[in-house]
Amino acid sequence: MGKKWMKCGFWSVCFCFIFACVLASPPAMARDEILIGTHNPLSGIGALPGAEQKWAYAQAVADTNNAGGIFLKEEGKKLPVKLITIDDESDPGKAAAAVERLIKRNKVDLLLSGQVGAMGTLPGMITAEKFKKYYHGGIIWPQTFLEHNFKYCTMYFFDPATSGDMPFEVFNSVSEDQRPKRLALFMEDSFDGKTMGDIWASLAKKFGYEVVLRESMGMGAKDFSSQVMKAKAANVDAILSMANTPESVTLLRQLKENKVNIKWYQGFKGTWPNEFWTALGSDAEGVLLDGFWSEDNGYPKSKELGEKFYKDFKYYSVNAGYYYATADVLFQAIAKAGTLDSLKVRQTVMENEWVSANGPVKYNEKAIALFPMSDLQWRNGKHVLLYPLDRAKEKAEVMKPWDQR
Amino acid sequence: MSPRFLLKPKLSYSFLGVVLCFFIVYPLVVDAELSYLVYFLYSTFIYVTLAQGWNLAAGYTGQVSLGQHAFIGIGAYMTAITWRTGWTGYLDPLAMIMSGLGAALVAIAIGVPLLAKLRGDYFALGTLGLGEILRVIAINGGSLTEGTAGISLPSSSYVSMHYYYYIALLIVVIAQGALLWITHSRIGLALVAIREDETAAAANGIAILRYKILAFAVGAFFTGLCGSLNAYYVFHINTTGAFSLNWVIVPILMASLGGAGTIWGPAFGAFILAGVYELANIWMPELHPIFSGSFIVLVALFLPDGLMSYLTGRKDRILQKLPVFHWMFQKA
Repeated sequence: MGKKWMKCGFWSVCFCFIFACVLASPPAMARDEILIGTHNPLSGIGALPGAEQKWAYAQAVADTNNAGGIFLKEEGKKLPVKLITIDDESDPGKAAAAVERLIKRNKVDLLLSGQVGAMGTLPGMITAEKFKKYYHGGIIWPQTFLEHNFKYCTMYFFDPATSGDMPFEVFNSVSEDQRPKRLALFMEDSFDGKTMGDIWASLAKKFGYEVVLRESMGMGAKDFSSQVMKAKAANVDAILSMANTPESVTLLRQLKENKVNIKWYQGFKGTWPNEFWTALGSDAEGVLLDGFWSEDNGYPKSKELGEKFYKDFKYYSVNAGYYYATADVLFQAIAKAGTLDSLKVRQTVMENEWVSANGPVKYNEKAIALFPMSDLQWRNGKHVLLYPLDRAKEKAEVMKPWDQR
Repeated sequence: MSPRFLLKPKLSYSFLGVVLCFFIVYPLVVDAELSYLVYFLYSTFIYVTLAQGWNLAAGYTGQVSLGQHAFIGIGAYMTAITWRTGWTGYLDPLAMIMSGLGAALVAIAIGVPLLAKLRGDYFALGTLGLGEILRVIAINGGSLTEGTAGISLPSSSYVSMHYYYYIALLIVVIAQGALLWITHSRIGLALVAIREDETAAAANGIAILRYKILAFAVGAFFTGLCGSLNAYYVFHINTTGAFSLNWVIVPILMASLGGAGTIWGPAFGAFILAGVYELANIWMPELHPIFSGSFIVLVALFLPDGLMSYLTGRKDRILQKLPVFHWMFQKA
């Protein structure tokens, strides 16, 4: 019986050894770097902004390390930052697993935000909260963030309720005869689409505009001709829309095919990517697009960052500076706190005002910092900043009729 | 002493006991909150259960289901809704059992028409459709399911990794035990008979539809349990996560890798594939899907019946090296 148990023990030890080898954490060594972990969607539906986020974080790390790193008071020396990125594949389950791996296997000191709200940022935040690691977050609606009463997370993003003003303020910035009279809302059939549609419907009244049509756009739908014909019948002269790029392209094409001339087309979400301009060419001229950031906003490093981004990607970004600012604020806060203690860094983030590529960043008592969205216009394949009005150098221009392009 | 003594069931069960002891004791001797191995084992237990749930219907009965994500989603949403409305609480056994039973009931309801009318690829596509139907229902479920935004659960309720780990271990032990019992009973013989030749089985008096539904529902019950536990773990349920096709593909790959239609193959496959995914993630984080995908393609090409069949098919060579595993590889 003894020999049998020895054999059993042998196989069991082998079994355990395999697992231990697979999952062994790196051995603890004297600190010679600051480990920051992040999960970006490098594949899946969020791959495009995910690639920009990864690039922008890398720029922030490079700039910090080129300046000698971050001085940590508790270590008495400057340390370089090492960023560990895991692909969360735009999947909420994998985002949670990625953060778990970053905390438990990679032993990161602090965490930087992922993407796409409930698809990535939220599961990342919940996991960080469970294991008491500070998550310096973004890209999540304030309402969703507040539901969880996080103690180890902060968020830096815009509020759809207040940023909904943006298109109406842009309309109000042009002469009265150019302002739209009959608005239509074309909203994708999603939570975001419904939320934004409700906000715009109520804000239109506040700003004195009339919404004459509200239509739903099926996500992934290939034909919006019935909605377009309704717009034609309602004599619509401006469209506010939230939809992905393929749907936005289809809608614009069908507006042109049906000779529905409009003065304004404000797109949210789907009109900023380069693919939108590539697909439509001159038909995209004059379309308004939303952005988290603009390289023309005049804030530190913005212009330089925009040029570098164009050199690497060959298109203009409306996000990179926001991602850069998210990382940059965290690095500034670590230096100010002088420690990597999660709660102390979070406290420092919340108690101070920061300035970076996306302007001033100030958190409130609920750990939320908001920035105003940017509104831009496509002109000759480039983005022209129109909003915030105090940062814009140009005024919005009415779209030309389809046959004059 | 000849290594043949290791083939004795008594010793094999002793070996299993040692492994189980390791699983029980390990989280107690490390910091479970910071141990990645504890998390790895927890998630692998879930996948073993899912793979075995699929194995019972597909591996033993021959009814290949692609609708496991529907049962995960049902389990997750039932738990989230009942917790949010105050009917159940955090890590509530009642909610978990209800979630499992809910998934089983849906499996019976959908299984009666599907299993009676459809076979093979058509049955598989029918079950795939079930997941999509439920996903759309959840998206349009209004305040009950909160649409695409999903249901947020109070994440501050989280207490300890120990609870999740031991519940997952308990579920996997019960699932494995149920599979052992079923496959060693008359039910198991009936299931295998259906898989091998449905007409012959019917001619011998086996109630084909009843046994097919039984296998499908038992698999769905365990899958629903996993969905419930996952809801408690992630604290946020939405249609993208709960009805993800990963819940279908990964367990099928695991079961196929280890050997569908074997008792221990899916468990073995789950640990191997989870390990491969981890290694790929560690060594080549940007390219891991290529590595993992290549591994699966190689197994499909060279070991179409899974690792277990390779090991059992060459007893003279392999079993001399791994005799202690022999009892695990035997087909029912």
